[in-house]
Amino acid sequence: MFLYYLRLSALSYRRNPILSTLMVLAVAIGISAYMIVFTLNYTMGGDPIPHKSGQLFHVQLDSGNPNTEADPPVQLTYIDAMHLQETSRAFRQTATSKFSSIVEPANPEIRPFSVIGRGAYADFFSMFDVPFQYGSGWDSAADRDLQQVVVLSAELNERLYGGADSVGETLEFDGDFWRVVGVMQEWNPVPKFYDINNGPFDNGEEMYIPWRHLVARDLPRAGNTNCWKSIEGTGLEAFLNSECVWIQYWVELRNADEEADYLAYLNNYVSEQKALGRFERPMNNALFDVNEWLVKEEVLPEETRILSMLAAMLLAVCLLNTIGLLLAKFLGKSAEIGVRQALGAHKGSLFIQHVIEAGFIGLLGGLLGLVLAGYGLEGVKLLLGNELMVTDWIRLNVPVVIITILLAIVATIVAGLYPIWRACNINPAMHLKTQ
Amino acid sequence: MNTGPIIRALMRNKLGAALIALQIAFTMTVIINAIFIINERNRLMDQPSGMDDSNLFHVTVIGFGDDYDEEIVARDDMEMLRRTPGIVNASVVNAIPVSGSGSSTGVRLIPDPTSPATGTAIYRSDEHILDTMNLDLIAGEGFSETDMRLRYESGATLADKAVVSRALVEELFATEDVDSVIGETMFVDGDKQLQIVGVVEALQAPWPTSTLVERSTIVPENFIDSFSRYMIRTEPGQLDRMMAEVEELLVANNSDRVIRQIRSMPETRFETYRVDSALTTILWVVVGTLVVINSMGIVGLAVFSINRRRKQIGTRRALGATRMAILRHFLLENFFITTIGVSIGALLTLGLSIVLTTNFNMPTMAWYYTPIGAFLLILVGQLAALGPSAKATRVAPATATRSV
Amino acid sequence: MLQMTQISKVFRTDLVETHALREFSLQVDEGEFVTITGPSGCGKTTFLNIAGLLETFTAGNYLLDGADVSKLGDYQRARLRNEKIGFIFQSFNLMPDLNLFDNVDVPLRYRGMKAAERRERIDAALDSVGLLSRKKHIPSQLSGGQQQRVAIARALVGEPRFLLADEPTGNLDSNTAMGVMELLQEINSTGTTIIMVTHDTELAQKSRRNIHILDGRIAEEGASTSAEPAAVPA
Repeated sequence: MFLYYLRLSALSYRRNPILSTLMVLAVAIGISAYMIVFTLNYTMGGDPIPHKSGQLFHVQLDSGNPNTEADPPVQLTYIDAMHLQETSRAFRQTATSKFSSIVEPANPEIRPFSVIGRGAYADFFSMFDVPFQYGSGWDSAADRDLQQVVVLSAELNERLYGGADSVGETLEFDGDFWRVVGVMQEWNPVPKFYDINNGPFDNGEEMYIPWRHLVARDLPRAGNTNCWKSIEGTGLEAFLNSECVWIQYWVELRNADEEADYLAYLNNYVSEQKALGRFERPMNNALFDVNEWLVKEEVLPEETRILSMLAAMLLAVCLLNTIGLLLAKFLGKSAEIGVRQALGAHKGSLFIQHVIEAGFIGLLGGLLGLVLAGYGLEGVKLLLGNELMVTDWIRLNVPVVIITILLAIVATIVAGLYPIWRACNINPAMHLKTQ
Repeated sequence: MNTGPIIRALMRNKLGAALIALQIAFTMTVIINAIFIINERNRLMDQPSGMDDSNLFHVTVIGFGDDYDEEIVARDDMEMLRRTPGIVNASVVNAIPVSGSGSSTGVRLIPDPTSPATGTAIYRSDEHILDTMNLDLIAGEGFSETDMRLRYESGATLADKAVVSRALVEELFATEDVDSVIGETMFVDGDKQLQIVGVVEALQAPWPTSTLVERSTIVPENFIDSFSRYMIRTEPGQLDRMMAEVEELLVANNSDRVIRQIRSMPETRFETYRVDSALTTILWVVVGTLVVINSMGIVGLAVFSINRRRKQIGTRRALGATRMAILRHFLLENFFITTIGVSIGALLTLGLSIVLTTNFNMPTMAWYYTPIGAFLLILVGQLAALGPSAKATRVAPATATRSV
Repeated sequence: MLQMTQISKVFRTDLVETHALREFSLQVDEGEFVTITGPSGCGKTTFLNIAGLLETFTAGNYLLDGADVSKLGDYQRARLRNEKIGFIFQSFNLMPDLNLFDNVDVPLRYRGMKAAERRERIDAALDSVGLLSRKKHIPSQLSGGQQQRVAIARALVGEPRFLLADEPTGNLDSNTAMGVMELLQEINSTGTTIIMVTHDTELAQKSRRNIHILDGRIAEEGASTSAEPAAVPA
């Protein structure tokens, strides 16, 4: 019977091609607008590391200006980050920050170029499950001994070594020689949760080196630096001892007990520092897991939230349109419905027939909507000039495709409920006499 | 024309009319708020930077190698650039306005670090900067060569003088009399004194959405750390040529460095306002789509309702109604529905507008948006109904006498 | 077969009450061919709609095949229509975008029959009206008479106990109308009860029993030649 009704739906479409196409278009436009916004929200506000986002914590220590009500700083000072790193109380931990440098390739045909790199501790790679193409990250001995080791992004490896296994190669930058220990696979978590304050949708860094080199070599910082208190004196030493924050700090804690212990440890540390005259604001230390941190930092741009509302209303307009058109269409079928009743159709079977007919329109609308959403996202990508992989996501994600189509079908059927009800309750006697 | 029968006929087809009215209401809500957002974003994007944007470009220079001396290289570069035909002036500057990255600091009128400070963007540059950016000096004067300070390490400000934007004067001194602040002292980095020597009409901060967007301070100071930005102003019409040539000129001067991000001010503005311009484009698409869907709905239902009433129309014609009367009937019917729609829409618009202003950083909508939107939607409704109504006038009076 | 007792049907709107049938009583026995005549608006179509379970009635009692149908819900009424009643309409009421085969198929679909059996029955029904060779055509490719034959095949395909025809020849020229009438008589001769509304008195003469309705009541009841005396209900 289902296939029979489906065939009737197709025939019915052919009978009023213009009206039916208008409906399909309305559903398609509404659904695609909704899916575009949904995709943007999902990608930009989604969980970038779902399997362990609950165990990775951003550390917040409120070392801010006691004379203002400003939010706690989102980064740490050198003093605090180094203390946390030296005591290493978490299961895993890493200080991390961006730097810039100049690479001088061995190949004389490639001119020196500047790169954005990231300083990190050995745990960075295991904490964030960084995927490797060749080799691996470094070990903690490299952190301790300031070994000149470097991990390359897939892109930089492509540029320098044509994508070959470059582990063991020597790379010259910052006027010195470094040994390549690993080459990452393409790794661009969206949002870039581990460094939100330097652009949540930026691309990843091109190279990684043990963090302490940043200080030892006074490499140029490439991320945000915020100082609420002027630096006392000049030079690197003065900067390191200042209240300037410029280091992100992440820890991995496996359970609530570890989390509580770590927070207690942080509070204890801050109390000690208060005694030394630092941390003049009230105690306000916190651990934010990945998702909490994304929400706290309002990663999802205001624009996508405004668009969400407008898209929902656009969908509503499209569905209102569909209700009207379905009503017109079904009431236009009164004669057929009357005949079907005379021939033995009961209200239940008429109901199913028209639910399937509405669903059929929804299915077509959903399919077309998917295509429109694909193009729409390409357009958004073009407008944003950003390499957000949103279109890949919708193209490759089978559940999303299914959800989109289901949403279209369900929305159309819901929009069709009243028209369907009217269609089922047509008085057959009224419509059998003349056409 | 007597409107009574039309309204009574509408009342008998409540649902069809209600659907169209609701659709118009939602459409109006979205369209008006969208256009308001578009206008707000356009206003933001149109804010003048205070500079001669169309003739400015900038370039980032990063030196490497042990014998790279930025102090010498930068001086040579500046001399060379300023000599180059097609270039009006050039300056070393720590940050580019509207680029999204730069420095800010707090300034005070008293040297008390615990007192509230006024935020300002801080540009460190040289004595040519006012001419390079082509800023409009409205009081005092610019810097001289002797004002320049060179700094080799991070730390507090070294310069003693400052040129500030009018907005900063208004905020800090709470006065519009810019001449009165010339020679006044403000404090930065706690107790470091800066003497205000000049006021410029406008100079945007690097962060266009920040509250301190109009508040800027320029100090005569350069940081020598092998990483520098040059701001370059060209003769009108020479921008593209100079941007193409500048890398070669700089590398010829010294090749131990990387030349990056040669970008014109218009390009930088475009990058910074990318999301805003994307949003306005998307919203225009939304507005256009809604108008089309809405018209589709009106046309679809008008055709349907007219077809259903063909006989009635024929009867009216047979009874002496003119084509004009039939046309008026359907247009008037559409007018009533649309009017109900825009009335509901006006309330919804107000509601969404309140939601947007309370939840997002948006100003209140001006009153005239709603009536103008309502008027335009009624117009669109009439236009959409015109086709089907015109078709209705072509129903022959003889239709009345036929049974099928 | 069909027994109506004191059936009344009142249509109400805000302003007027229309009595379409007034205490209407009628009994039709198995195998009868009854024609109903009367002027426009006399209630003959209302009678047919009530008889065919398409419309409910305001008062009275209606036994169809011995079963009281006045209390049945939509589902059972639909089943009865599907299994026991066949309809033939003045304007044929074929589905314009279904071919003949699919048109005849409609009642069988609601019976949930297996595909093979359906095909067999449809072919037989189309064959019996002489249109099997055109089963892939759509109605608009046929003449009016042919369309009505398809409608008859559709009415018969479910092997109903009785057939309700509402002006089945009203849209046909007289020659074709005769053909359709002959077909109906042939069907009647196989035992199917037929009730036919018509205003063509000549056709009405061809049935064994004619009932004339005026203002919702039976005005006169006559039997044409060779008719058995009609049973007048109590």
